Amino acid sequence: MAHSQGKRRRLVADIVRHGRLQNPPFRLRSGQLLAALMTASALMLAAPGAALASNSTHKAGSAKAAGGSTKAKAASSSRTTARGATSRSSSAKGKKGVAAAEARTASATTTRPARRSASASSIQEASNAEARLIAVYEMFGRGQARPALAKARDLVRDYPNFQLAQLVYGDLLAAQVPPSNALPDTASIAKMRGNPAMAELHEESKRRLQALRERPPANTVPSQFLTLSTRSRYAIAVDASRSRLYLFENSDKGLKLTADYYISVGKSGTDKVTEGDARTPLGVYYITSSLDPKSLKDFYGAGALPINYPNPYDVRRGKTGGGIWLHGTPPQQFARAPLASDGCVVMANPDLKQLLRKVQIGATPVVTARSLQWISQPQAEKETQSITSAINGWKDARANGNEAQLKKFYLPDFQRSSKKSTEGISAVDEEVKYAQGKRVQFKDVSYLHWRDGDDTMIVTFGEVFEGEKSGRSRRQYWLRQGTDWKLFHEEILG
Amino acid sequence: MPKSPRPRARFSFSPTVRALFLAAATCGAALPALAAIEHEEVDKLMQAGKLDEALTKADAFLKDKPRDPQMRFLKGVIQLDTGKRNEAIAAFTQLTLDAPELPEPYNNLAVIYASQNQFDKARSALESAIRTNPSYATAQENLGDVYARLASQAYSKALQLDQNNTAVQPKLAVIRTLFTPTPPGAKPTALVASAAPVPAAKAPAPAPAPAAPPPPVKVAAAPAPVAAAPKAPEAKAPEAAPAPAPAPAPAANTASNAEVESAVRAWASAWASQDMDRYLAAYGPDFTPTGGQSRKSWEEDRRARIVGKSSISVNIENLAIKVDGQNATAKFRQIYRADNLNVSSRKTLDLQRSGNQWHIRKESVGG
Repeated sequence: MAHSQGKRRRLVADIVRHGRLQNPPFRLRSGQLLAALMTASALMLAAPGAALASNSTHKAGSAKAAGGSTKAKAASSSRTTARGATSRSSSAKGKKGVAAAEARTASATTTRPARRSASASSIQEASNAEARLIAVYEMFGRGQARPALAKARDLVRDYPNFQLAQLVYGDLLAAQVPPSNALPDTASIAKMRGNPAMAELHEESKRRLQALRERPPANTVPSQFLTLSTRSRYAIAVDASRSRLYLFENSDKGLKLTADYYISVGKSGTDKVTEGDARTPLGVYYITSSLDPKSLKDFYGAGALPINYPNPYDVRRGKTGGGIWLHGTPPQQFARAPLASDGCVVMANPDLKQLLRKVQIGATPVVTARSLQWISQPQAEKETQSITSAINGWKDARANGNEAQLKKFYLPDFQRSSKKSTEGISAVDEEVKYAQGKRVQFKDVSYLHWRDGDDTMIVTFGEVFEGEKSGRSRRQYWLRQGTDWKLFHEEILG
Repeated sequence: MPKSPRPRARFSFSPTVRALFLAAATCGAALPALAAIEHEEVDKLMQAGKLDEALTKADAFLKDKPRDPQMRFLKGVIQLDTGKRNEAIAAFTQLTLDAPELPEPYNNLAVIYASQNQFDKARSALESAIRTNPSYATAQENLGDVYARLASQAYSKALQLDQNNTAVQPKLAVIRTLFTPTPPGAKPTALVASAAPVPAAKAPAPAPAPAAPPPPVKVAAAPAPVAAAPKAPEAKAPEAAPAPAPAPAPAANTASNAEVESAVRAWASAWASQDMDRYLAAYGPDFTPTGGQSRKSWEEDRRARIVGKSSISVNIENLAIKVDGQNATAKFRQIYRADNLNVSSRKTLDLQRSGNQWHIRKESVGG
C-alpha cells in the first residue's frame, strides 16, 4: 500500500511537470520549485485518487480496445467495486465526464480488482463545496493547472471563508508566478507557508481526500447499527479518524448511506473522560433536542443538536462533562480544522442545515467512533442473536412472574431513569406487578451495539400488552458479563 | 528580477518606430506621417513630464481624428499619470472595445485596477492582454505580480490573517506607448476612411481579434540584429536600410536558407489568403502553442481569428534566417494588416526540417 502510494505520487509529479511544460512563459524552474512543491504537498500529498484517475486515463484506451468499456457498462457490480478509487470523478464531474469516468472505472477494475476499500457509494453532491474542491484537485492532478485555477477562483468566490479552498487557490496562483518575480508578496507567501496553521489545513485536506477515497464497502453499515427500527428514519455515524459524518436513511429495506460530510472533533481528539478535556466522547447516543440558532451565539452557526452525553453507560463509568453538540461554524469560518472543538462535532453550516431537516429528536441515533467498522447485514443479524435471546428470556420471566428468574437479568446497581432502585429488587417487583402475567408484544425494536473495554447494547422498543392498543416505549442498557447480558439501566420514554 | 530597467527598455524601441514613421514620411504618405509626428511630440512631452501640454496637444489632435487609437492611448496614459484614474479607465476600456487585439490598453487597465486593490479585475485584464499576445512580456510580468498578490491574499484568507499587514502595493509596469504605428504608409486613406464612419468601424472591433500577435515588447533581451529601418510595405520605399542588418547566417547553408525562406513566405501567404489548410500545415506535429493552449483549441482560435476578415495582408521584412542542421530560426518583422487593424511586430519562427519540408515548431513574438 505504502509502496503503491509512493508510485502514484510520483505519477502525479510527472503529470504536474508535464502540465507545466505547456505554459512556456511560466515554465517551472528551480527557483519556483518551492512553490510547486508546496502546491504538491497541499494538493497531492494525499491525492492518489486524482493521480489514479489521470493515470488510468491512459489505460482506458487499451481497456476500451479490449472491450473493457462494455464490461464497465454491463457489470455494475464491478463498477461499484472500483468506485472507491474513482468515486469523486464520477460525481464531482458533470455530464460530459461520465464517459471518461466510466472508462476509467473499467480500467481501474482491471488494474486494481482487489482494492480493499471497495465502495458502495460515491460522494454525494450534498456537500457541494467539497465536491468542487475535489474537482479542483483532480484537474490539477491531470495537469490542467489553468482550468483548476479558474474553478478554485469560483469556489472561493462562492465560499470565501472556506480556508482550505483559499489555500488551494493560493497554491495554484503561486505556481503561476514566474520565478523571476521577486516581490514582497513572494516573501510574505513564504512566511505564511511556515505558519503552523497551514499544517492544520493540510491535515484537513488529507482527511477529506482519505474519506473520499476510502468509501464504505457496498451493503454494509457501521457495526454499531445492528438493528434499527423504522421509527428512526435517519441515523448518524461519525468517524473521527476520517473527520467524517455519515448520514443514513432508514427504511424497511434497511439503512442506506445518503450523504457524508467533513466534520471537526475535539482539540484533544476523542474519548472524552472528564469535563473540560476538550475531547469528543465515543459511544452511541441520541439527539436530544434541536436548539434554535436565534438563541445561539454566532459561534455555533446554523444550529445545534445536543446528544445525550454522558449516557447511562458513560455515567456508570464515571465520565463527566456535557453539552456535547453537533453544531455549525461561526460566520468567519466555512469549516474548522479536524481537531478544533471543545468536544463537539462541528460541521459546515450548509451541511448542518441538511442534517437539521432530517434528524428526529430522541429517535436519531448518533454513533461517534474513533474509526468506524463496517459490517454486512448477515453479520449484523448474527451479532444480534445473543441479545435477542436475552431480551426474550427477560420478557418470558416477567410474563411468568418468575422473580428469581427475572432478577438474573439485572445488575445489582441497576437504575431506572434517574431514580435509584434499591438492590434492583424494586425494579423486579415493579415489572412483575406491571406485567400481571399478560402476554406482551415488542415492536419497533432497535439494537445499537457499543464495544470498547466492555460489550454494551442499547435496546429500544415499544411494548403492547394483549388487549391494549399502545404501551410504553423503553430504552434499556445492557452489559455483557461473560456470556450473559445484564441490564444496568432503563429509561421509560413514554 | 529587477523591474526598473523594463520601462526604459520599452522606450528603447522607439527609434524603430521613429524609423518607421520616417520611412513612411519619405515615401510621401504625408498624412499619417504627420500623425506619427504628433504622436511622437506628445510622447516626448510626456517623457519630459509636461503632462498638461501633452494633454492639450493630444486633445487638439483627437478633435480631428477622434478614433485614432495611438493618440487615445497616449491620452489615457496622461490621465493615468495625472491621477485621473476613472477617466483613464474609461479611455483604456473603450480602446479594448474598439481594438481588442491590442494588449497595451488591457495592461494599463490592469495597472489601474491593481492600484485600486482590485486584483481580480487586474488579473482578468492581464489575461486578456496575454490572450491577445501570448508572449507579451510586460503583461506577463505584471500578471506574475498580480498572481503573487492574489496568492498572498488567498493565503492570508486561508490563515485568516489580517490582510492589511501585507499591503505594500505591487508596482505594476505601465505601458506608455503603443508600438502600433498608426497607418505607416500603406493604405492611409483607406484607414482614415474606415475610421470615419464610426458605427461601421465599431462593428468589427469586438469580433474575435485577429491574432496577429502584435506589438513586440521584449527588447532588452532581443539579440541586436534586426533594428533596421523597415520599409512601409506597399509604399515602395527605397530598400536602403540605414543600418543594414548584420548578415545573420553563415553563407554555408544557402540552399537551406532558401528552403526556410520559402517556407516562411508560404506560411505568410497562406495566412494572408486565409487558406487555413495550408496555414495550419505550415506548423509541424510537435508545434506547441504558447500560453498552454492545446493544439486543437489553438487551431480553432486561429481559424476564428483568420477566416472571415475582409482582407488580410502579412508582409515580411528584414528576414534573417539561421540554419543549424535540421533546425532553423527565422526572425523578421511582420507587418500585419486586417480590416481596421495594422500591426507591425517582430516575430521569430523556429522551424524544423522533416524530409524536404520545413515546419514551424515554435512561434514567438519579439526576439
